Formats: sequence, structure tokens, C-alpha cells
Amino acid sequence: MSGPGAPIRFCVCAGVVTVIYLCGKLCVNRFISRVEEVLNDWKLIGSNFGKPPEKGEYTSRTWDEKSRDINFADFRFSITHHYLKQECVESEGREDVEEDAFPLAMQDLLCMNNDFPPRAHCLVRWYGVREFVVISPGANCEAIISESKCNLLLSSVSIALANTGCQVPVFVQIQQKWRKMYSGECQGPGVRTNFEMVHLRKVPSQYNHLSGLLDVFKGKIGCPLSPLPPINIAIRFTYILQDWQQYTWPQQPPDFDGLLAGEVGGVEFGKLPFGPCEDPISELHLATTWPHLTEGIVVDNDVYSDLDPLQAPHWSVRVRKADNPQCLLGDFLMEFFKLCSQKESTEEILGRNSVEEEGKENSDITQALSKLTEPAAVPIPKLSVSNMVHSARKRIRRHRRLDQSPLSNDMLNSILLYLFPDAAVDRPDLTDAKSPQSSSGGKSERDTESDDYNLFNLLKSAPSHSLTFRLALCMCLVNFYHGGVRAVAHLWQEFVLEMRYRWENNCLVYGLAAGPPDLRCCLLHQKLQMLNCCIEHKRARDSGSGRDRKEAASENGILSPTSTGAGPTLSETPLGKPWDSWSDSEDEFFECLSDTEEIKDVPADRAKGGAKEVGRAKPEGRLQPHGKLTLLNTDEPLYVPVTQEPAPMTEDVLEEQSEVLAKLGTSAEGAHLRARMQSACLLSDMESFKAANPGCSLEDFVRWYSPRDYVEEEVTDDTGQTVVLSDLSARMKIPGNMWVEAWETAKATPARRQKRLFDDTKEAERVLHYLAVQKPADLVRHLLPCVLHAAMLKVKEEEASEDIHSVRKALQQVISQASKLLRHPSPDCRKLEDIINQIMALEAIVARARSLKAKFGVVKGDKGEDSEDLEKFVSSLLEEPEVAVTGAGRGPAGTIIHKLFGSAQRAALLAPLEEEAGRAGGPENRKPMGGGGVPDFPPPAGREILLRTCVPRPAPYSRALPQRLYCVLMREDFRLAGAFSSDTSFF
Amino acid sequence: MDDDVLTTLKILIIGESGVGKSSLLLRFTDDTFDPELAATIGVDFKVKTVAVDGNRAKLAIWDTAGQERFRTLTPSYYRGAQGVILVYDVTKRDSFTKLGNWLNELETYCTRNDLVKMLVGNKIDKDNREVDRNEGLKFARKHSMLFIEASAKTRDGVQCAFEELVEKILQTPGLWESSTQSCGVQLSDDPQQQGHGACGGYCSLL
Repeated sequence: MSGPGAPIRFCVCAGVVTVIYLCGKLCVNRFISRVEEVLNDWKLIGSNFGKPPEKGEYTSRTWDEKSRDINFADFRFSITHHYLKQECVESEGREDVEEDAFPLAMQDLLCMNNDFPPRAHCLVRWYGVREFVVISPGANCEAIISESKCNLLLSSVSIALANTGCQVPVFVQIQQKWRKMYSGECQGPGVRTNFEMVHLRKVPSQYNHLSGLLDVFKGKIGCPLSPLPPINIAIRFTYILQDWQQYTWPQQPPDFDGLLAGEVGGVEFGKLPFGPCEDPISELHLATTWPHLTEGIVVDNDVYSDLDPLQAPHWSVRVRKADNPQCLLGDFLMEFFKLCSQKESTEEILGRNSVEEEGKENSDITQALSKLTEPAAVPIPKLSVSNMVHSARKRIRRHRRLDQSPLSNDMLNSILLYLFPDAAVDRPDLTDAKSPQSSSGGKSERDTESDDYNLFNLLKSAPSHSLTFRLALCMCLVNFYHGGVRAVAHLWQEFVLEMRYRWENNCLVYGLAAGPPDLRCCLLHQKLQMLNCCIEHKRARDSGSGRDRKEAASENGILSPTSTGAGPTLSETPLGKPWDSWSDSEDEFFECLSDTEEIKDVPADRAKGGAKEVGRAKPEGRLQPHGKLTLLNTDEPLYVPVTQEPAPMTEDVLEEQSEVLAKLGTSAEGAHLRARMQSACLLSDMESFKAANPGCSLEDFVRWYSPRDYVEEEVTDDTGQTVVLSDLSARMKIPGNMWVEAWETAKATPARRQKRLFDDTKEAERVLHYLAVQKPADLVRHLLPCVLHAAMLKVKEEEASEDIHSVRKALQQVISQASKLLRHPSPDCRKLEDIINQIMALEAIVARARSLKAKFGVVKGDKGEDSEDLEKFVSSLLEEPEVAVTGAGRGPAGTIIHKLFGSAQRAALLAPLEEEAGRAGGPENRKPMGGGGVPDFPPPAGREILLRTCVPRPAPYSRALPQRLYCVLMREDFRLAGAFSSDTSFF
Repeated sequence: MDDDVLTTLKILIIGESGVGKSSLLLRFTDDTFDPELAATIGVDFKVKTVAVDGNRAKLAIWDTAGQERFRTLTPSYYRGAQGVILVYDVTKRDSFTKLGNWLNELETYCTRNDLVKMLVGNKIDKDNREVDRNEGLKFARKHSMLFIEASAKTRDGVQCAFEELVEKILQTPGLWESSTQSCGVQLSDDPQQQGHGACGGYCSLL
């Protein structure tokens, strides 16, 4: 015996030693030692032990592999070790194993527990081995075709095995790769197994049945014993069903006509399509297995066969899924995503004419509207918003030439009504854009649909049902069904026009949460919210002045302090009530200089005040008393002033601003400048405070604004009494600090007369300009998060009705991937595409589940025992590579499969009317290979026959050793893979 | 100098007014203490590069004003922060009891939910302590924050607070990878994609 300790080198090239051969020999030796080295490294030397594999273990456990590159002269090979992963370390208790046991691979040859594994390396399928090494030509190397090369390689392997004492079989891949031809060897103490193979394109007729193959096997074994020990036979026939007949998948084709007719309810626009356009299940493979036969029990020869699939004791099924079935949702997403690469601007896409016309229309309308919005000319509140929107649209329509518009007027009309339901004339409940509920969709959703809330936050999209979300769906829709990028450009142009219209007419944009831009949402959503902030601001200004006027008219004689002439105490108690109620309203009036009452009011008051208290202004802009605090100097209550809110910002503007602030650097000057830049808000608050609290001091302000900077300390004074000393904190007293500086600069000005911190006009124009310059590609990038969000909701909804665990799990993964991706300011397009591909894959899985359920007649709610089994069967078909059919051909699933094959056969071979009669004969009178009538099953697409025995070889007195022949017979593929062992000690 | 920097991290410092946020930052960046540091207006900004576990990270630290009124302004700067230092004054109980509000604020305005939080109890050099160390620790644990007590005046714990925060952020890969993503360096892709291109010999019969 040769072990690793006693290396004996054999020479292969025993022929004439010329210089050339010498080189060849050297190379061979180097190759052999490399192989030995690798086998050593992988610790594959010496004997290996193990229990026979459990039933199905090759499928249930995982396989692993490791690879190395080795060279043979200038030829590169890769050597790969494939092995079934050990679940736990079972190294103990191995000593007592008999020394001359067969190598594991030889034992595996006879083991019947893992015949016909559903998914395995071909060598595992052919030889049943749990561990092996393959040497195959490197990726770019040519195949080993010449016989001499094959032999050289094989003998090198044989030497390496002998030298190392490795008992793992080693295979060499020969011939072209696609032929999967392997030749190999396994060595054990005194035994050797040779793995040989025959591969042909056609099945020779004499081997086209079991008896012929048995002859091959017997001949190859060449067993001298008589009678021959029994040969164990396992057979598996595979049948393919491609024609599903009436059991087509249940998908209803989408109702394009309905959409095109323009008679669509708003709901339809919010829906994404879902489902396949073709059957996502293309084939069903039925494997009928006879796992354990012996020679003589069955007859299968050139004229007769006992192998009726219906009688097979074991059935299993696998389905072939259509590769990337075309699915609606996936197409929808992909088509939209593809617009990302469009370079043209909206104008370029819609053509020049339309721009000019658009421009003209636009100015037309603005002129018309500016007439309407002239302050005193029209009482705005009386004008119905819906009427105005409606008429504006009519105007647009008239100007647009029909043939130039990608979207028909009817289509556009229904889309716009879906986007802006508040503009519908016949829906008075929505027309009141003033009602805050209509614009706060996001807030209420937060409570009711926390799932969705979470999702928009994760994906940085927008709340579902928000305008942005609906816009995204519409864009997708028009892109897919109504004219691609031109339609997208057209709809966008209309949308921007509508935004401008709403701004110019003080009409809030419907379907956006109120308040400052929500930074968790996508930028476009923030922009639209910003526009709403501007509109709200402007409305507050406009209605504020209007209201003042009204108040002045109606209340002058009753409540106004100036007219009642309540005397010198005016600014105190009697005023409290009206001031409070005034400030309770949400309106804040900035820059209302045109306010006539104001102008009239102030001097009048000053005149009165002047008479009594010189230098004491009338308090203005009070919000409410600040607790029970009184001013330090005057004992008057300290009032919290009405203040200006800081300007809302969208994330891009915020980004710019942070950049500016950060660029000021970290020096003291930089910090000072930064503070100064941000002090506008502080200054404004100080001015408001001064206006609301005449006679106040910085201390008063600090008590409201930064109470911790007003320090109160109990101190015992000289006389022994405890007094409370209070003062500004040290940092507020630093000379020249910005708070003091600002306080000194601040004039007593109520918020409504201060310079606006938020310039709504400027901001609105900024937003509108931003919207107008977005190209369709930009738009797609803006809206993609919303579209993905909607798609994920759709998948979730569809999955829920099918209850597919794997989809649920995968969806979570997709969401978290997308979440990471979409938070990045400019997500990688390739990765976005990958997300879409993953969503498509999920859609396909759901589609497959539906298709299979339909085919196997699984009806929801049907609670029979059979249907429960069926349902389980169908769901395992989706998740497992191969599923056993309980009861084989007689079980509930088997019956259905039988019927499916039967009807496909009849459809293929008979006129449809005769079928019932033909079927009545039943399966008894059929022969699998042709014969009278119509067989229920087609000829098998593949036949696998496995022959095993244990006989002495080569001599009658040799040890009995495992012999195995695996045969596969297909239409255009015939393969015999034999493993023949021989005794190397006794022959 | 920025060449060897692994990533740039955005750190926030928040907490009630007067708890010593700016002093902590000044101690960390300039190793000085100024008892007469003016109250911050809006937000302030400082930069420091630190080395943690052999990795150099550039910190862009945003210091915020604690006054209630500024809270309409400052949260907009919370966006994109990877770490936050939440400061209270151990000698002012109300600065501790208001921590909950700050956490709410964070939750509302932070754009990412996985940011790392560090709770710092400042001014431990003073005698008139009102908040016990264990209370701080308990609060931090309850809200899964890191915790340390510090004094900007004596420099106790200051360096440690920042370093631990950075270390934790760097240990949370999803949190900071994106800042280098724009450089186009993507070392590892999905491992499962490897070796699945060819059938590799594994296949079914048909």
C-alpha cells in the first residue's frame, strides 16, 4: 500500500526518450505532483468513512465546492472538489472501522436512497457519489479530445491517487464541455473503480429498452459466475406536458378599451396593472418511478413493455416556469424607468409649435386672471374655485390644436379630474378648497395606514393618495398606454400649468399635507408642498387685508377702541378680549401696509397715548399673556407676541443653505457671520416682542425666549434677609454679544408690519420655474420612488390573496434594498433597474401560483380534505424543485395530472368529439409505446434506467464489488455511465 | 489631508439651552473652555477629523441652539445626520426631564431611523448635581443610546463621547457607506450572484 509517507513515482512515458518527450515527462511529473499537492491541501488523502446517505439527503442538504487552477505544460485546468456539506462534525468513534472497507464512493454506488435526485451535479445523478473531484479544462482552454491526451491525463490522475492514497473519485472532463463527458477513477485498498461513459446522439435500437441495457451491463461486468447474482433495477420515466388545453391561466387581459374610451372613473387611474401576459408555467414534468425492480419482474423489450406510468409506484412532479414571463406590472415599471435615459426637454418632445402656443396661452390666461385677481375688482371668496379651474381649462382646450396633442382632450380631462378632484364641477363636497381636511391627506393616513406611512418614509416617496403619488401613477399610465414620452411631456406641461394657475388664483393644491415641506418625502412632493405654503401665505395676506376691511366696516362703531373712546386704560383690560380673539385666528398679516385701518388707527392711538403717557406706544401684535409674568419695569403682563414663522424650506434649498453656512468655516469670524445670517428670525421676534410689550427690556425678552438665561438666585443680604436676586446669565451679559446687539437694533414693530421672512411670491416663482424646467427624464427620477412604492403595495396586496410566504419575505428584502438606494441623492440607475427586476420576479411568482392553482382546480374557500392536500401540493410545486405526488397516479393530484395529460393527448391526436369514447377504455388497454387507441400519456421525454449489482471481478475468486450502470435515453441523447469495480489484489 | 479620510460623518448636538452643547464642541474641537461663550443663534458648525480604529473620519458637527423658539428652525438641519449627541446638564433636572421631547423631535425630523444616539450628562465638575449617573444610564438604555458623563470644563469624557459615537457609526455599515458611494467604489456586490451564471454542472435531467 502506498500512503502519503512513501511516495512512489511512476513514469508514464515509457517510450523512446527524446528531448521532446523528456520535456513532456517533466511536465507530466509536475502535473501529477500538483494534483497530489491539491489533494493533500484539501485533506482528501487516506480512507474516508461514513454512514450511507439518508433518503433524499442529497437534495435536502447543501452541496459545496472549492476550486484551484493547475497547469499541465501550457494548458490550464481547474480542479474542483464537490462535496455534500457535513451538517455536524462526526469525527469521533471512527477507529473501529475495518481497515479494508471499500471507499465511500464505492459504497455509494449501490446505495438506493438518493436515486434520481431532483437537482444535483450530473456526476451525482449518474454515480450516486457524495464527494468527488473534477479536473476540467480552464475557462478559455480547448477541450481534451484526442485519445492519447485523455489517456495521459487519466493515467496521471491514477498515479496521483495511488501516491496519495486518496479514496475520493477523481474525474477528468473530456470532449467538448457541452457533452458532459467524464472519465474517472476511484482507488481503495486492493480495489479500483473505473468510471466510463458512452454518449451518442441517437439511441441505438437494440438498447432502446431495459432488456437491451441489461445485456450491455452483463457484458461489461463479464461475470464468470453462474447464475449471475440478481441485478437491482430502478427506472424513471419523465413525461412532459406542454399543452394545458382549457386549463389556461386565469388572467383577464387588461381592459384597454375602457381606458381609451375616456369614460373612466377616477379610481381606475390609481390602479397598477398586475399579472402575466402569457402563461408563466410553461411545462409540467411528471416523473414516474419504479424505485426497486429486479430482473424478470418487469418486461420491457422491443415489442412489449410493462412500464405503464399509471402503475408506477411513485410519482413526482416539477414545473417548468417560463423564463421572465412578460408581466404587466413589470412592463409598466420598466417602460417608465426607461424614460430616465431620455435627454430631450418637454419642449423638444412636444415640438416647437406647441411651445409657442403654450406660451401664448399661458400669458393669455395669466393676463385674464390677473384682471380677476386685481385686489378690489372681484370679491375672490365669492368666486367658485371649481368654476375658475373649469373655465381656465376650457380656455386652454380651445387654443390647443387637437392633432398635436399626444393625449386626447377626453383623456386629459379625466386624468386632470383624477389628479384634482376639487376642480370637478359636480362634486361640491370637494370644491371648498378652503377646508383644511382636503389638503391634509398625509396626516390622517399616518394614523390609519401606519404600514404605508412607514413605506413612504422608507422609500422617500410620498403618502399614497397624495397628489404626487397619483401623479406618478398617471405618468406611468400615460407612458404605457397613451403615447409614451410625448404623453408624459404633455401631461407634465398641463400639470405645471395647473400649478401656476392655482398659485395665481390663490387656490390651494389639493391632496397635499398641510405645513412645511415634509423632508421625508421625495423632492417633487416637497416642492408642491412648498407651493402650497406660498399659496396659503398669500391667501392669508389677501384675506387678512380683506378681513380687516370688513372688520373696520362692521365693527368700527362697536368694538374698535378708537371709536368707543374707552379712555386711557385702553391698552389694558378692556382691550384684552378683542385682542385675544383677534390673535386667535390663524391669520398673520405681514407687510399689510395698504391696510387702511392700520394707517388710520396708529396715529389716532398715538394721539391719545401721547396725551397721557408720552413715549409709550400702543401694544401691537400680542398673542397671549406669558403665564403670570409681568414686565420687570412696569408690572404690566408680559405678552407673547405674534411672530413670523421662519421660511419653510425644501431639501435642496436647505442643502444649499447648509452649504453656505458650512462654507463660512470654523473660525470665530465665520461663526459670528453665521450667527448674524441666522439672526433675522431672532431680530424679528425681538421686534414683535417689543411691539407687544411697550417698555420691556432684554431681561423680559430673555425670560420668554431663553428662560434658562435669566438666573434667579436666593441670596442672604447684609441685613440677614433672604432676597431673590435675578439677573441675566453671564453669557447674555457679554458686552457686544449678538443678543444684546440685536436687541439694541430691534425696533418695536409687530410681525405684520415687518419685512417678510418668507417671500411667498419669490418662493412660488422659484418652485414654478423648477417644475417648468424638469425634463421627462428628471420627472421619472422624481416620481420613481412613488411608482416603486405603489408597485410594492400592489405586490403586497396581490400576495395577500395568494398567501405566498417566500414572496412576503422577498418583498421585505426588496423594500430594505430600495430604502437604502432611494435615500441616496442620486441613486445608481443600474441598481434601480435591479429593484424593478426583483419586483418583476415577485410578480412572476404570484402569477405562477395563480396559474398553478387554476390548473389544479384549487378554489379558495373550498374546504374538502382533498383540496387542502391539493393546495399544499401546489404551493410546494412553487417552492421546491420536485414534489412527490401522494398516491401516485391514484391520488387527487395524480388524477388531475392524468386528466391533463389525457386531454392534451386527445387534442393532439384526435378530433375533439371522439375523445369521450376513446377515454372510456381506461388505462388498462394502453401500451406506453404506441399501440391502439390514444394513449393517455405521450412517449416519455426521458427514460432513466439504473442497474446495480455486486459481483466478483475480474476473476471468480476476486472480492464481490459494486457495479453500476446508469442509462439515460432521450430523443436526441443517449448516455451510458458505468462504474465498474475490480479487485486489484486478486485477479 | 482629506485623501485618507474614510468618510465624512454628520453629527448633531442637541439639548436644552444652556446645558453646554457649544462648550462640549469647543472642548472637542479646540480643546479649550470659554466660560463666556455666547448663546448660539440658529446653528453653528465645526469640523474635526478623528481616527477611530485606524480609520480616519471627518466629522461635520452641527451645534444647535436649544431655545424653544429656534426649534422651528434648527430641525431642518437634522437631515442626513448619522449621529447625534443629546446633552443634558446634571445640575439641572429639567434639562434631563425634557430629554423625551428631544427624542420625539429627532424621530420626527431625522430622515434616517438608524442614526446612532449618544446621551451626554454635562457639567459633572459642579457640586450641585441633581441627576444621578444611574438615572442617565437607565434613560440611555431604555432608548438604546450610548451614554457618558462629561465635563467640558475639565475635559472629562468629552473626547470619549465623540469617539465612541463615531466608532458605533462606523460599525453600522449601512449608515455611512452611502457617503462614499458617490466615489463609485463598490467592492462587494451581492455574494449570491456569484457562480450562478453558468449552471456549473448542477442541473436537472431535462
